[in-house]
Amino acid sequence: MEAPVRSVAGAAGRRVARVLRRRRPLPYLLIAPALLGTLLVHVIPIMWGVFISFRDLDIYTIANWRGAPFIGLGNYLEALDLADPDGVLFMRSIANVAYYGVVTISLGYAIGLGVALLLNQRFYGRTLVRGLVLLPYIMPDSVAYSVWRFIFQARVGIVNSFLMSLGLIKEPLVWLVGTKTMFAVMVASIWKGWPFACLLLLAGLQSVPRELLECASIDGANWWQRFRFVTWPHILPVTKTLILLNILWNFNAYNQFKVMLGDDPGVYAEVPSTFVVRQAFDNLRYGLGASMSVVLVLMMTVVAVIYLKTLKPGRSVED
Amino acid sequence: MVRRRTAYQSSKSPRVRAVRVAERVALYAAVLVVLVVVLIPYVWMLSGSFKTSLEIQSADITDPDLAPRWIPRTFTLDNYRNVNRTVRILDYFMNSIIVSIGTMLLCLALSILAGYSLARFEFKGKGPYVLSLLVTQMFPGILFLIPYFILFVYINKWTGIQLKNTYAGLILTYASFALPFSILMLRSFFATIPREIDEQAQIDGCTPVGALFRVIIPVAKPGIAAVGIYAFIMSWNEILFASLLTGRETKTVAVGILEYITNQEARWAGMMAACIIVTIPVLVLFTLIQRHIVEGLVSGSVKG
Repeated sequence: MEAPVRSVAGAAGRRVARVLRRRRPLPYLLIAPALLGTLLVHVIPIMWGVFISFRDLDIYTIANWRGAPFIGLGNYLEALDLADPDGVLFMRSIANVAYYGVVTISLGYAIGLGVALLLNQRFYGRTLVRGLVLLPYIMPDSVAYSVWRFIFQARVGIVNSFLMSLGLIKEPLVWLVGTKTMFAVMVASIWKGWPFACLLLLAGLQSVPRELLECASIDGANWWQRFRFVTWPHILPVTKTLILLNILWNFNAYNQFKVMLGDDPGVYAEVPSTFVVRQAFDNLRYGLGASMSVVLVLMMTVVAVIYLKTLKPGRSVED
Repeated sequence: MVRRRTAYQSSKSPRVRAVRVAERVALYAAVLVVLVVVLIPYVWMLSGSFKTSLEIQSADITDPDLAPRWIPRTFTLDNYRNVNRTVRILDYFMNSIIVSIGTMLLCLALSILAGYSLARFEFKGKGPYVLSLLVTQMFPGILFLIPYFILFVYINKWTGIQLKNTYAGLILTYASFALPFSILMLRSFFATIPREIDEQAQIDGCTPVGALFRVIIPVAKPGIAAVGIYAFIMSWNEILFASLLTGRETKTVAVGILEYITNQEARWAGMMAACIIVTIPVLVLFTLIQRHIVEGLVSGSVKG
């Protein structure tokens, strides 16, 4: 029995060798290790995750995954069931993250653009200031949000102390529990996030030809007209890319909520990532958690595709 | 329009000069506001790290005598001296160093090869591969967190290889996260090196792989360093996977720092000292490669 098997394997091997020789194997061999890494850490787990999402995999069935009952769309129906408290909370978390995203992305963009326009002026110490504004972006997430957690403390934090010194509040406000949690996280996230927008927009601004601005001002265009008709078309492409990246990243926001609010951020600041992590690793319902993450990615893909189709980012002014 | 043009040209009139001066003042004032906002958390962190625990715990904004201050009432270095006492942050620091350097090396090894392949060869499937890198870059961690965790459990069960709570498991994970961006960055670095240089080396008897090691890598050192530091910082800062895949022995600083605040106690002073210690390596490394990372951000995208 052995010989034929070996000869079949030999023939297959020869065929592979021939294909490799014809296609010049070296470029493939060079990307092979990286491809293997991506397969192991991204592709296989993602396929496995889709598989798990159709099974009732929890702490009882994890010992033998083949024994985990196949329940079809059961997990998905449960995740999206608005009669179920978990389904309601999941929907709430999606609404929360949409609210969070709209506020932080738009304000972060506005501040980033304002500062980019400012730093595009000539002034003494500009290079140093351009470096310093990156400080929030550089600070590790866990450090930045820990410091903001400290800043937002009710009795020892400087936010309340500032508001009291202005006479805006009489009693210290509780920021990190209850209704104001989302606001506190948004402030911290905007502080951390705007330099990224600023950086990209500053690079965009440098592509605006100075002669064009000078021409416009000699022709009598005022500040707004120069911005609207000369500068804006040049930073539009980077704006579109920037907003898309921000949408994708903010949809999965986890660090800021975990660090500032702990494992259970509460209903006002629950976001999909924290909710999925709790379903899977606190309630040990892996199947349900996996189905929720598939739902999230599908939603994200839809948003991204709509965005790409309507705004067509990546096109430059010349197109 | 005509009036404007004359105003523009007669810059010596006192009214115009006053407007100019006012504009300069407003400009510097605005820059100052930006800097203050950027620096507040940094200064508060620094000031907190030199305060006594007593000062922070007894602070009370409703009582003017105990209101939190920017300058510590009693200046102390105890938070730094005892930094490893309540939370084993120095051990976590070592773990982070090991994981981050491991990630850097593994990521560089894989991405140098792949980047070279993309920069110098034409092959079937190159376009789709580049596209797949861009897509992988966008995949949210949450999508494969659960199956990845379960995969670790099963690998342990079937083969006895422990990946959870090991440096190797974390390094493999983070290296793959950093791969897409690193490959694309290195590809563009390598593409800036004139082809004639490595063609000459090959004429002189180098194999293509020999040319990579003898010519390309030495020439592209700055770019390689930048990509390595990017991988280092990425794994230094990662929280989501670290909180699930590390245990007592392998916990990294990004999650270790959270241990200062427990249900019983809030050790803010110690935490601020730890925050400083955790931030310094990132600050130094980022400063070294700022130019490259900024270029990379502009041409592609780094995960935020």
